[in-house]
Amino acid sequence: MAKNLVIFLTLISFLPLLCNSFSSENPSDRKILVLVDDLGIKSSHSIFFKSLQTRGFELDFKLADDPKLTLKRYGTYLYDGLVLFSPSTKRLGGSLDSAAVLEFVDAGHDLILTADSSASDLIRDIATECGVDFDEDSEAMVIDHTSYAVSATDGDHTLIASDDFIKSDVILGSKKIEAPVLFQGIGHSLSSANSLGIKVLSASPAAYSANPNAKLSNPPSLTGAAISLVSVVQARNNARVVISGSLDLFSNRLFKSAVQKAGTSIKHEKSGNEQFATELSKWVFHERGHLKAVNVRHHRVGETDEPAIYRINDEVEYSVEIYEWSGTSWVPYNSNDVQLQFYMMSPYVLKNLSTDKKGLYSTIFKVPDVYGVFQFKVEYQRLGFTSLSLSKQIPVRPYRHNEYERFIPTAFPYYGASFSTMAGFFVFTIVYLYHK
Amino acid sequence: MVKSTTTTSSTAKDAQALFHSLRSSYVATPTNLKIIDLYVLFAIFTALIQICYMAIVGSFPFNSFLSGVLSCVGTAVLAVCLRIQVNKENKEFKDLAPERAFADFVLCNLVLHLVIMNFLG
Repeated sequence: MAKNLVIFLTLISFLPLLCNSFSSENPSDRKILVLVDDLGIKSSHSIFFKSLQTRGFELDFKLADDPKLTLKRYGTYLYDGLVLFSPSTKRLGGSLDSAAVLEFVDAGHDLILTADSSASDLIRDIATECGVDFDEDSEAMVIDHTSYAVSATDGDHTLIASDDFIKSDVILGSKKIEAPVLFQGIGHSLSSANSLGIKVLSASPAAYSANPNAKLSNPPSLTGAAISLVSVVQARNNARVVISGSLDLFSNRLFKSAVQKAGTSIKHEKSGNEQFATELSKWVFHERGHLKAVNVRHHRVGETDEPAIYRINDEVEYSVEIYEWSGTSWVPYNSNDVQLQFYMMSPYVLKNLSTDKKGLYSTIFKVPDVYGVFQFKVEYQRLGFTSLSLSKQIPVRPYRHNEYERFIPTAFPYYGASFSTMAGFFVFTIVYLYHK
Repeated sequence: MVKSTTTTSSTAKDAQALFHSLRSSYVATPTNLKIIDLYVLFAIFTALIQICYMAIVGSFPFNSFLSGVLSCVGTAVLAVCLRIQVNKENKEFKDLAPERAFADFVLCNLVLHLVIMNFLG
Protein backbone atom coordinates (compact mmCIF):
# COMPACT_ATOMS: atom_id res chain seq x y z
CA MET A 1 0.00 0.00 0.00
CA ALA A 2 2.75 2.40 1.03
CA LYS A 3 4.73 1.43 -2.05
CA ASN A 4 1.77 2.25 -4.27
CA LEU A 5 1.47 5.62 -2.60
CA VAL A 6 5.16 6.37 -3.23
CA ILE A 7 4.78 5.48 -6.91
CA PHE A 8 1.66 7.60 -7.14
CA LEU A 9 3.38 10.61 -5.52
CA THR A 10 6.39 10.22 -7.84
CA LEU A 11 4.13 10.17 -10.88
CA ILE A 12 2.21 13.19 -9.61
CA SER A 13 5.45 15.14 -9.17
CA PHE A 14 6.36 14.53 -12.83
CA LEU A 15 2.99 15.78 -14.01
CA PRO A 16 4.00 19.44 -14.38
CA LEU A 17 6.76 18.39 -16.80
CA LEU A 18 4.18 16.90 -19.12
CA CYS A 19 2.20 20.09 -19.44
CA ASN A 20 3.95 22.01 -22.18
CA SER A 21 0.95 23.88 -23.46
CA PHE A 22 0.65 27.64 -23.98
CA SER A 23 1.68 29.63 -20.94
CA SER A 24 3.46 32.84 -20.16
CA GLU A 25 6.67 30.86 -19.78
CA ASN A 26 6.13 28.99 -23.04
CA PRO A 27 4.03 31.23 -25.25
CA SER A 28 4.06 29.29 -28.53
CA ASP A 29 0.85 27.51 -29.30
CA ARG A 30 0.96 23.75 -29.14
CA LYS A 31 -2.41 22.34 -30.00
CA ILE A 32 -4.32 23.70 -32.95
CA LEU A 33 -7.80 22.93 -34.19
CA VAL A 34 -8.16 23.02 -37.98
CA LEU A 35 -11.70 23.32 -39.30
CA VAL A 36 -12.19 22.44 -42.97
CA ASP A 37 -15.12 22.33 -45.37
CA ASP A 38 -14.14 18.91 -46.65
CA LEU A 39 -11.24 16.74 -45.67
CA GLY A 40 -9.77 17.11 -49.16
CA ILE A 41 -8.23 20.36 -47.93
CA LYS A 42 -6.05 18.28 -45.62
CA SER A 43 -4.24 16.92 -48.68
CA SER A 44 -4.61 19.90 -51.01
CA HIS A 45 -2.97 22.19 -48.37
CA SER A 46 -0.65 19.53 -46.95
CA ILE A 47 2.60 21.51 -47.33
CA PHE A 48 1.32 24.24 -45.04
CA PHE A 49 0.07 21.73 -42.45
CA LYS A 50 3.30 19.76 -42.72
CA SER A 51 5.38 22.87 -41.95
CA LEU A 52 3.27 23.43 -38.82
CA GLN A 53 3.65 19.83 -37.72
CA THR A 54 7.43 19.79 -38.20
CA ARG A 55 7.62 22.88 -36.00
CA GLY A 56 6.00 20.88 -33.22
CA PHE A 57 2.35 21.81 -33.50
CA GLU A 58 -0.28 19.19 -32.92
CA LEU A 59 -3.01 19.62 -35.53
CA ASP A 60 -6.52 18.35 -34.98
CA PHE A 61 -8.52 18.21 -38.23
CA LYS A 62 -12.29 18.42 -37.94
CA LEU A 63 -15.09 19.07 -40.39
CA ALA A 64 -16.56 22.51 -39.72
CA ASP A 65 -20.04 21.06 -39.28
CA ASP A 66 -18.96 18.18 -37.03
CA PRO A 67 -21.76 17.98 -34.42
CA LYS A 68 -19.29 17.16 -31.63
CA LEU A 69 -17.22 20.26 -32.21
CA THR A 70 -16.13 22.12 -29.07
CA LEU A 71 -13.29 24.44 -28.11
CA LYS A 72 -13.77 24.30 -24.41
CA ARG A 73 -14.35 21.60 -21.85
CA TYR A 74 -15.00 22.19 -18.15
CA GLY A 75 -14.10 25.87 -18.56
CA THR A 76 -10.65 25.28 -20.04
CA TYR A 77 -9.75 25.54 -23.68
CA LEU A 78 -8.71 22.34 -25.41
CA TYR A 79 -6.74 24.20 -28.09
CA ASP A 80 -4.25 27.06 -28.22
CA GLY A 81 -5.01 28.11 -31.77
CA LEU A 82 -7.76 27.84 -34.35
CA VAL A 83 -7.40 27.63 -38.13
CA LEU A 84 -10.61 28.25 -40.05
CA PHE A 85 -10.08 26.82 -43.53
CA SER A 86 -13.80 26.58 -44.06
CA PRO A 87 -14.87 29.66 -46.02
CA SER A 88 -18.24 28.36 -47.19
CA THR A 89 -19.55 26.94 -43.90
CA LYS A 90 -22.85 28.58 -42.98
CA ARG A 91 -22.98 27.23 -39.44
CA LEU A 92 -20.29 25.64 -37.32
CA GLY A 93 -21.13 22.33 -35.73
CA GLY A 94 -21.51 21.49 -32.07
CA SER A 95 -21.44 24.34 -29.57
CA LEU A 96 -19.30 26.50 -31.80
CA ASP A 97 -20.55 29.75 -33.30
CA SER A 98 -19.02 33.13 -34.13
CA ALA A 99 -19.42 34.29 -30.51
CA ALA A 100 -17.54 31.23 -29.25
CA VAL A 101 -14.73 31.87 -31.75
CA LEU A 102 -14.47 35.50 -30.63
CA GLU A 103 -14.50 34.46 -27.00
CA PHE A 104 -11.64 32.12 -27.82
CA VAL A 105 -9.67 35.08 -29.21
CA ASP A 106 -10.65 37.23 -26.24
CA ALA A 107 -9.14 34.57 -24.00
CA GLY A 108 -5.79 35.26 -25.67
CA HIS A 109 -5.74 32.52 -28.28
CA ASP A 110 -4.79 32.82 -31.93
CA LEU A 111 -6.83 32.51 -35.09
CA ILE A 112 -6.23 32.12 -38.81
CA LEU A 113 -9.32 33.05 -40.75
CA THR A 114 -9.59 32.49 -44.49
CA ALA A 115 -12.34 33.54 -46.83
CA ASP A 116 -12.92 32.83 -50.45
CA SER A 117 -15.13 34.08 -53.22
CA SER A 118 -17.87 32.05 -51.58
CA ALA A 119 -17.34 33.39 -48.05
CA SER A 120 -20.28 32.75 -45.75
CA ASP A 121 -21.91 35.27 -43.45
CA LEU A 122 -20.38 33.46 -40.50
CA ILE A 123 -16.83 34.12 -41.73
CA ARG A 124 -17.77 37.72 -42.57
CA ASP A 125 -19.22 38.19 -39.07
CA ILE A 126 -16.06 36.99 -37.36
CA ALA A 127 -13.95 39.21 -39.65
CA THR A 128 -16.15 42.23 -38.96
CA GLU A 129 -15.73 41.71 -35.23
CA CYS A 130 -11.95 41.80 -35.82
CA GLY A 131 -12.30 45.16 -37.59
CA VAL A 132 -12.03 43.80 -41.14
CA ASP A 133 -14.77 44.24 -43.75
CA PHE A 134 -14.91 41.90 -46.73
CA ASP A 135 -16.46 43.20 -49.93
CA GLU A 136 -20.22 42.92 -49.47
CA ASP A 137 -20.83 41.65 -53.00
CA SER A 138 -20.72 37.87 -52.58
CA GLU A 139 -19.68 37.35 -56.20
CA ALA A 140 -16.84 39.89 -56.10
CA MET A 141 -13.17 38.98 -56.42
CA VAL A 142 -10.06 41.10 -56.54
CA ILE A 143 -9.18 41.85 -60.18
CA ASP A 144 -5.98 43.45 -61.31
CA HIS A 145 -5.19 44.08 -64.96
CA THR A 146 -1.66 45.32 -64.33
CA SER A 147 -0.09 42.95 -61.82
CA TYR A 148 -1.83 39.64 -62.52
CA ALA A 149 0.13 36.40 -62.76
CA VAL A 150 0.98 35.57 -66.36
CA SER A 151 -0.43 32.21 -67.41
CA ALA A 152 -0.90 30.27 -70.64
CA THR A 153 -4.52 31.26 -71.01
CA ASP A 154 -5.31 34.94 -70.70
CA GLY A 155 -7.99 34.37 -68.05
CA ASP A 156 -9.86 37.03 -66.10
CA HIS A 157 -6.89 38.40 -64.12
CA THR A 158 -8.19 37.27 -60.72
CA LEU A 159 -4.98 35.38 -59.96
CA ILE A 160 -2.92 38.27 -58.65
CA ALA A 161 0.84 38.32 -58.16
CA SER A 162 1.35 40.76 -55.32
CA ASP A 163 4.61 41.83 -53.76
CA ASP A 164 3.39 44.79 -51.72
CA PHE A 165 4.39 43.38 -48.31
CA ILE A 166 4.49 45.18 -45.04
CA LYS A 167 8.06 46.12 -44.15
CA SER A 168 8.35 44.35 -40.84
CA ASP A 169 10.97 41.76 -39.99
CA VAL A 170 9.02 40.56 -37.03
CA ILE A 171 5.85 39.71 -38.97
CA LEU A 172 7.36 38.34 -42.18
CA GLY A 173 10.80 37.21 -41.02
CA SER A 174 14.17 38.77 -41.65
CA LYS A 175 14.63 36.98 -44.99
CA LYS A 176 13.17 39.02 -47.82
CA ILE A 177 10.41 37.35 -49.80
CA GLU A 178 11.78 37.51 -53.38
CA ALA A 179 8.95 36.04 -55.44
CA PRO A 180 5.49 37.61 -55.57
CA VAL A 181 2.67 35.97 -53.65
CA LEU A 182 -0.16 34.47 -55.68
CA PHE A 183 -3.61 35.42 -54.47
CA GLN A 184 -7.04 34.50 -55.73
CA GLY A 185 -9.97 35.54 -53.60
CA ILE A 186 -11.89 38.44 -52.18
CA GLY A 187 -10.55 41.72 -50.94
CA HIS A 188 -11.22 43.42 -47.64
CA SER A 189 -10.66 46.80 -46.09
CA LEU A 190 -9.59 47.69 -42.56
CA SER A 191 -12.06 49.94 -40.85
CA SER A 192 -10.51 53.28 -39.93
CA ALA A 193 -11.55 52.82 -36.31
CA ASN A 194 -9.43 49.71 -36.07
CA SER A 195 -6.04 50.78 -34.77
CA LEU A 196 -4.92 47.23 -34.08
CA GLY A 197 -5.26 45.87 -37.62
CA ILE A 198 -2.34 45.97 -40.04
CA LYS A 199 -2.29 45.28 -43.78
CA VAL A 200 0.34 42.64 -44.46
CA LEU A 201 -0.28 42.14 -48.16
CA SER A 202 -1.90 45.01 -50.06
CA ALA A 203 -3.25 45.10 -53.58
CA SER A 204 -1.64 47.28 -56.23
CA PRO A 205 -3.11 50.74 -56.92
CA ALA A 206 -4.73 49.40 -60.10
CA ALA A 207 -6.68 46.61 -58.40
CA TYR A 208 -10.40 46.64 -57.80
CA SER A 209 -13.00 44.33 -56.37
CA ALA A 210 -15.83 43.27 -58.67
CA ASN A 211 -17.61 40.26 -60.12
CA PRO A 212 -15.34 38.97 -62.92
CA ASN A 213 -18.22 37.32 -64.79
CA ALA A 214 -20.48 40.35 -65.02
CA LYS A 215 -20.19 43.63 -66.81
CA LEU A 216 -19.04 46.39 -64.48
CA SER A 217 -21.98 48.77 -64.40
CA ASN A 218 -21.23 50.75 -61.24
CA PRO A 219 -17.84 51.92 -59.95
CA PRO A 220 -16.43 49.23 -57.66
CA SER A 221 -16.74 49.99 -53.95
CA LEU A 222 -13.21 48.80 -53.11
CA THR A 223 -10.33 50.00 -55.25
CA GLY A 224 -6.59 50.39 -55.29
CA ALA A 225 -4.30 50.21 -52.31
CA ALA A 226 -7.27 50.43 -49.94
CA ILE A 227 -7.82 46.76 -50.69
CA SER A 228 -6.03 44.50 -48.28
CA LEU A 229 -5.43 40.93 -49.38
CA VAL A 230 -4.05 39.62 -46.08
CA SER A 231 -4.30 41.47 -42.76
CA VAL A 232 -3.29 40.75 -39.21
CA VAL A 233 -4.77 41.95 -35.95
CA GLN A 234 -3.02 41.89 -32.62
CA ALA A 235 -5.57 42.34 -29.88
CA ARG A 236 -4.84 44.20 -26.65
CA ASN A 237 -4.48 40.87 -24.86
CA ASN A 238 -1.79 39.94 -27.41
CA ALA A 239 -4.00 37.39 -29.16
CA ARG A 240 -3.11 37.34 -32.84
CA VAL A 241 -5.42 36.94 -35.82
CA VAL A 242 -4.57 36.49 -39.49
CA ILE A 243 -7.31 37.27 -41.99
CA SER A 244 -6.80 36.22 -45.58
CA GLY A 245 -9.20 36.76 -48.44
CA SER A 246 -7.94 33.67 -50.15
CA LEU A 247 -7.86 30.08 -49.00
CA ASP A 248 -5.93 29.11 -52.13
CA LEU A 249 -3.00 31.23 -50.96
CA PHE A 250 -2.17 28.37 -48.55
CA SER A 251 -2.71 25.57 -51.09
CA ASN A 252 -0.06 23.22 -52.46
CA ARG A 253 -1.03 24.26 -55.99
CA LEU A 254 -0.02 27.90 -55.45
CA PHE A 255 2.91 26.99 -53.16
CA LYS A 256 4.53 25.06 -56.01
CA SER A 257 3.36 27.21 -58.87
CA ALA A 258 5.82 29.19 -60.94
CA VAL A 259 5.06 32.88 -61.09
CA GLN A 260 5.67 35.69 -63.51
CA LYS A 261 4.16 39.02 -62.72
CA ALA A 262 2.62 40.80 -65.71
CA GLY A 263 4.84 43.52 -67.08
CA THR A 264 8.07 41.99 -65.77
CA SER A 265 10.37 39.54 -67.51
CA ILE A 266 11.57 37.74 -64.37
CA LYS A 267 10.03 34.29 -64.02
CA HIS A 268 10.28 32.81 -60.53
CA GLU A 269 10.38 29.00 -60.37
CA LYS A 270 8.37 29.03 -57.18
CA SER A 271 5.92 31.56 -55.84
CA GLY A 272 6.50 33.39 -52.56
CA ASN A 273 3.42 31.78 -51.02
CA GLU A 274 5.20 29.08 -49.03
CA GLN A 275 7.65 31.47 -47.40
CA PHE A 276 4.89 34.04 -46.83
CA ALA A 277 2.49 31.55 -45.26
CA THR A 278 5.16 29.90 -43.13
CA GLU A 279 6.55 33.18 -41.80
CA LEU A 280 3.07 34.54 -41.13
CA SER A 281 2.11 31.37 -39.25
CA LYS A 282 5.28 31.70 -37.14
CA TRP A 283 4.16 35.17 -36.17
CA VAL A 284 0.52 34.32 -35.51
CA PHE A 285 1.40 31.34 -33.32
CA HIS A 286 3.82 33.43 -31.22
CA GLU A 287 7.07 31.93 -32.43
CA ARG A 288 8.31 35.44 -33.09
CA GLY A 289 7.73 38.89 -31.66
CA HIS A 290 6.56 37.79 -28.22
CA LEU A 291 8.23 39.87 -25.51
CA LYS A 292 8.34 39.45 -21.77
CA ALA A 293 9.70 41.76 -19.13
CA VAL A 294 11.04 40.38 -15.87
CA ASN A 295 13.09 41.53 -12.88
CA VAL A 296 11.86 45.09 -12.71
CA ARG A 297 14.18 46.67 -10.16
CA HIS A 298 14.83 50.18 -8.92
CA HIS A 299 17.05 51.54 -6.19
CA ARG A 300 19.12 54.57 -5.23
CA VAL A 301 22.48 54.80 -6.95
CA GLY A 302 25.04 53.06 -4.75
CA GLU A 303 22.48 50.92 -2.94
CA THR A 304 20.95 47.58 -3.85
CA ASP A 305 17.77 47.43 -1.78
CA GLU A 306 14.53 48.68 -3.21
CA PRO A 307 13.25 51.49 -0.95
CA ALA A 308 9.57 51.97 -0.17
CA ILE A 309 9.80 55.70 -0.78
CA TYR A 310 12.13 58.11 -2.57
CA ARG A 311 13.10 61.65 -1.65
CA ILE A 312 13.08 64.52 -4.16
CA ASN A 313 16.39 64.91 -6.03
CA ASP A 314 17.47 61.32 -5.31
CA GLU A 315 19.55 59.61 -7.99
CA VAL A 316 17.62 56.49 -8.98
CA GLU A 317 18.69 53.50 -11.02
CA TYR A 318 15.93 51.56 -12.81
CA SER A 319 16.45 48.27 -14.60
CA VAL A 320 14.29 45.69 -16.34
CA GLU A 321 15.11 42.58 -18.34
CA ILE A 322 13.34 42.07 -21.66
CA TYR A 323 13.41 38.81 -23.55
CA GLU A 324 11.91 37.67 -26.83
CA TRP A 325 10.53 34.17 -27.38
CA SER A 326 12.34 32.52 -30.28
CA GLY A 327 9.99 29.54 -30.56
CA THR A 328 12.10 27.35 -28.30
CA SER A 329 13.72 29.60 -25.73
CA TRP A 330 13.85 33.13 -24.42
CA VAL A 331 16.59 35.19 -26.07
CA PRO A 332 17.66 38.71 -25.06
CA TYR A 333 15.78 41.42 -26.89
CA ASN A 334 17.95 44.17 -28.32
CA SER A 335 16.60 47.58 -29.10
CA ASN A 336 17.55 51.13 -28.33
CA ASP A 337 14.06 52.60 -28.20
CA VAL A 338 12.70 51.29 -24.91
CA GLN A 339 11.70 54.27 -22.81
CA LEU A 340 11.04 54.74 -19.13
CA GLN A 341 8.59 57.27 -17.79
CA PHE A 342 8.57 58.65 -14.27
CA TYR A 343 4.93 59.50 -14.26
CA MET A 344 2.48 61.47 -12.14
CA MET A 345 -0.47 62.64 -14.29
CA SER A 346 2.12 63.29 -16.99
CA PRO A 347 5.67 62.05 -17.47
CA TYR A 348 8.11 64.17 -15.46
CA VAL A 349 11.04 62.10 -16.71
CA LEU A 350 11.11 60.37 -20.10
CA LYS A 351 14.34 58.56 -20.77
CA ASN A 352 15.68 55.95 -23.17
CA LEU A 353 16.87 52.81 -21.44
CA SER A 354 20.32 51.66 -22.43
CA THR A 355 20.87 47.96 -23.00
CA ASP A 356 23.84 45.70 -22.29
CA LYS A 357 22.85 43.46 -25.26
CA LYS A 358 22.08 40.65 -22.83
CA GLY A 359 18.52 41.70 -22.23
CA LEU A 360 19.16 44.06 -19.32
CA TYR A 361 17.84 47.58 -19.80
CA SER A 362 18.78 50.24 -17.29
CA THR A 363 19.04 53.94 -16.73
CA ILE A 364 19.94 56.41 -14.00
CA PHE A 365 17.94 59.56 -13.50
CA LYS A 366 17.28 62.23 -10.90
CA VAL A 367 13.92 62.30 -9.19
CA PRO A 368 12.28 65.66 -10.04
CA ASP A 369 11.94 68.39 -7.42
CA VAL A 370 8.26 67.52 -6.97
CA TYR A 371 6.76 65.26 -4.36
CA GLY A 372 3.72 63.01 -4.72
CA VAL A 373 2.85 59.50 -5.81
CA PHE A 374 4.76 58.62 -8.98
CA GLN A 375 4.88 55.56 -11.20
CA PHE A 376 7.73 53.91 -13.04
CA LYS A 377 6.18 53.18 -16.43
CA VAL A 378 7.40 51.32 -19.47
CA GLU A 379 4.93 51.36 -22.34
CA TYR A 380 6.45 49.55 -25.26
CA GLN A 381 4.34 49.10 -28.37
CA ARG A 382 6.07 48.28 -31.61
CA LEU A 383 4.70 46.93 -34.87
CA GLY A 384 4.41 43.17 -34.71
CA PHE A 385 5.63 42.81 -31.15
CA THR A 386 3.42 42.03 -28.21
CA SER A 387 2.91 45.16 -26.18
CA LEU A 388 4.70 45.61 -22.89
CA SER A 389 3.00 47.68 -20.23
CA LEU A 390 4.79 47.85 -16.90
CA SER A 391 3.96 50.18 -14.10
CA LYS A 392 5.08 50.35 -10.53
CA GLN A 393 3.88 52.89 -8.02
CA ILE A 394 6.32 54.71 -5.76
CA PRO A 395 5.81 57.72 -3.47
CA VAL A 396 8.27 60.63 -3.44
CA ARG A 397 8.62 62.73 -0.28
CA PRO A 398 10.14 66.17 0.31
CA TYR A 399 13.23 66.74 2.45
CA ARG A 400 12.76 66.13 6.15
CA HIS A 401 13.43 69.22 8.30
CA ASN A 402 16.83 67.87 9.39
CA GLU A 403 17.91 66.95 5.87
CA TYR A 404 18.53 70.51 4.79
CA GLU A 405 22.13 71.72 4.66
CA ARG A 406 23.29 73.61 7.74
CA PHE A 407 26.12 76.04 8.54
CA ILE A 408 26.50 77.11 4.94
CA PRO A 409 29.64 79.30 4.60
CA THR A 410 27.73 81.77 2.39
CA ALA A 411 25.31 82.42 5.23
CA PHE A 412 27.99 83.23 7.86
CA PRO A 413 27.49 87.03 7.54
CA TYR A 414 23.78 86.56 8.26
CA TYR A 415 24.56 84.42 11.30
CA GLY A 416 27.04 87.06 12.40
CA ALA A 417 24.49 89.86 11.95
CA SER A 418 21.84 87.98 13.95
CA PHE A 419 24.23 87.28 16.82
CA SER A 420 25.62 90.82 16.76
CA THR A 421 22.11 92.27 17.12
CA MET A 422 21.60 89.96 20.08
CA ALA A 423 24.88 91.08 21.61
CA GLY A 424 23.94 94.67 20.75
CA PHE A 425 20.65 94.22 22.59
CA PHE A 426 22.49 92.89 25.64
CA VAL A 427 25.00 95.75 25.66
CA PHE A 428 22.24 98.30 25.02
CA THR A 429 20.23 96.99 28.00
CA ILE A 430 23.20 97.36 30.35
CA VAL A 431 24.15 100.78 29.06
CA TYR A 432 20.56 102.03 29.11
CA LEU A 433 19.95 100.84 32.69
CA TYR A 434 23.25 102.00 34.19
CA HIS A 435 24.16 105.14 32.24
CA LYS A 436 23.49 107.59 35.09
CA MET B 1 24.33 133.59 -13.32
CA VAL B 2 25.04 135.96 -10.56
CA LYS B 3 21.56 135.50 -9.31
CA SER B 4 21.82 131.71 -9.32
CA THR B 5 25.13 131.83 -7.47
CA THR B 6 23.54 133.96 -4.83
CA THR B 7 20.62 131.51 -4.70
CA THR B 8 23.00 128.57 -4.26
CA SER B 9 24.95 130.34 -1.58
CA SER B 10 21.77 131.36 0.18
CA THR B 11 20.46 127.69 0.01
CA ALA B 12 23.76 126.47 1.41
CA LYS B 13 23.48 129.00 4.11
CA ASP B 14 19.92 127.92 4.88
CA ALA B 15 20.96 124.28 5.03
CA GLN B 16 23.84 125.18 7.27
CA ALA B 17 21.53 127.13 9.55
CA LEU B 18 19.05 124.26 9.62
CA PHE B 19 21.77 121.73 10.38
CA HIS B 20 23.14 123.98 13.09
CA SER B 21 19.75 124.41 14.75
CA LEU B 22 19.08 120.66 14.53
CA ARG B 23 22.40 119.93 16.18
CA SER B 24 21.94 122.50 18.90
CA SER B 25 18.49 121.21 19.72
CA TYR B 26 19.66 117.58 19.57
CA VAL B 27 22.33 118.35 22.17
CA ALA B 28 19.48 119.16 24.51
CA THR B 29 17.98 115.64 24.02
CA PRO B 30 18.21 113.46 27.14
CA THR B 31 21.09 110.92 27.17
CA ASN B 32 18.83 107.84 27.31
CA LEU B 33 17.18 108.85 24.01
CA LYS B 34 20.62 109.42 22.49
CA ILE B 35 21.65 105.90 23.48
CA ILE B 36 18.51 104.53 21.79
CA ASP B 37 19.29 106.51 18.63
CA LEU B 38 22.79 105.08 18.53
CA TYR B 39 21.35 101.59 18.91
CA VAL B 40 18.88 102.17 16.03
CA LEU B 41 21.69 103.44 13.79
CA PHE B 42 23.74 100.33 14.58
CA ALA B 43 20.79 98.08 13.59
CA ILE B 44 20.12 99.93 10.33
CA PHE B 45 23.79 99.86 9.42
CA THR B 46 24.00 96.09 9.99
CA ALA B 47 20.89 95.56 7.84
CA LEU B 48 22.37 97.64 5.00
CA ILE B 49 25.62 95.65 5.08
CA GLN B 50 23.64 92.40 4.74
CA ILE B 51 21.57 93.70 1.83
CA CYS B 52 24.76 94.71 -0.02
CA TYR B 53 26.25 91.27 0.70
CA MET B 54 23.11 89.56 -0.63
CA ALA B 55 23.27 91.66 -3.82
CA ILE B 56 26.80 90.38 -4.38
CA VAL B 57 26.61 86.65 -3.51
CA GLY B 58 22.96 85.99 -4.38
CA SER B 59 19.98 85.04 -2.29
CA PHE B 60 20.84 81.37 -1.75
CA PRO B 61 20.23 80.64 1.90
CA PHE B 62 17.24 82.93 1.65
CA ASN B 63 15.90 82.01 5.08
CA SER B 64 19.23 83.01 6.67
CA PHE B 65 19.23 86.30 4.79
CA LEU B 66 15.66 87.02 5.86
CA SER B 67 16.33 86.23 9.49
CA GLY B 68 19.53 88.30 9.51
CA VAL B 69 17.88 91.37 7.99
CA LEU B 70 14.63 90.99 9.93
CA SER B 71 16.50 90.74 13.23
CA CYS B 72 18.02 94.16 12.47
CA VAL B 73 14.76 95.68 11.25
CA GLY B 74 12.84 94.24 14.21
CA THR B 75 15.44 95.55 16.63
CA ALA B 76 15.24 99.00 15.06
CA VAL B 77 11.44 99.06 15.16
CA LEU B 78 11.30 97.94 18.79
CA ALA B 79 13.93 100.50 19.77
CA VAL B 80 11.98 103.29 18.06
CA CYS B 81 8.84 102.17 19.92
CA LEU B 82 10.74 102.33 23.19
CA ARG B 83 12.00 105.80 22.29
CA ILE B 84 8.45 107.04 21.66
CA GLN B 85 7.26 105.64 24.99
CA VAL B 86 10.08 106.92 27.19
CA ASN B 87 10.23 110.40 25.61
CA LYS B 88 9.10 112.84 28.31
CA GLU B 89 7.89 115.42 25.74
CA ASN B 90 5.48 112.88 24.31
CA LYS B 91 2.21 113.43 26.21
CA GLU B 92 0.47 110.44 24.69
CA PHE B 93 2.29 107.96 26.96
CA LYS B 94 2.52 110.14 30.05
CA ASP B 95 0.58 107.56 32.09
CA LEU B 96 2.99 104.78 31.11
CA ALA B 97 5.90 104.24 33.47
CA PRO B 98 9.33 104.11 31.69
CA GLU B 99 10.10 100.89 33.63
CA ARG B 100 6.99 99.28 32.17
CA ALA B 101 7.97 100.45 28.65
CA PHE B 102 11.45 98.99 29.07
CA ALA B 103 10.04 95.65 30.32
CA ASP B 104 7.80 95.48 27.24
CA PHE B 105 10.81 96.20 25.05
CA VAL B 106 12.87 93.40 26.62
CA LEU B 107 10.04 90.89 26.30
CA CYS B 108 9.42 91.74 22.64
CA ASN B 109 13.14 91.42 21.92
CA LEU B 110 13.25 87.98 23.53
CA VAL B 111 10.38 86.81 21.34
CA LEU B 112 11.99 88.36 18.25
CA HIS B 113 15.31 86.64 18.81
CA LEU B 114 13.65 83.31 19.56
CA VAL B 115 11.95 83.47 16.16
CA ILE B 116 15.16 84.60 14.46
CA MET B 117 17.14 81.72 15.96
CA ASN B 118 14.57 79.23 14.70
CA PHE B 119 14.48 80.69 11.23
CA LEU B 120 18.22 81.15 10.87
CA GLY B 121 18.65 77.55 9.57
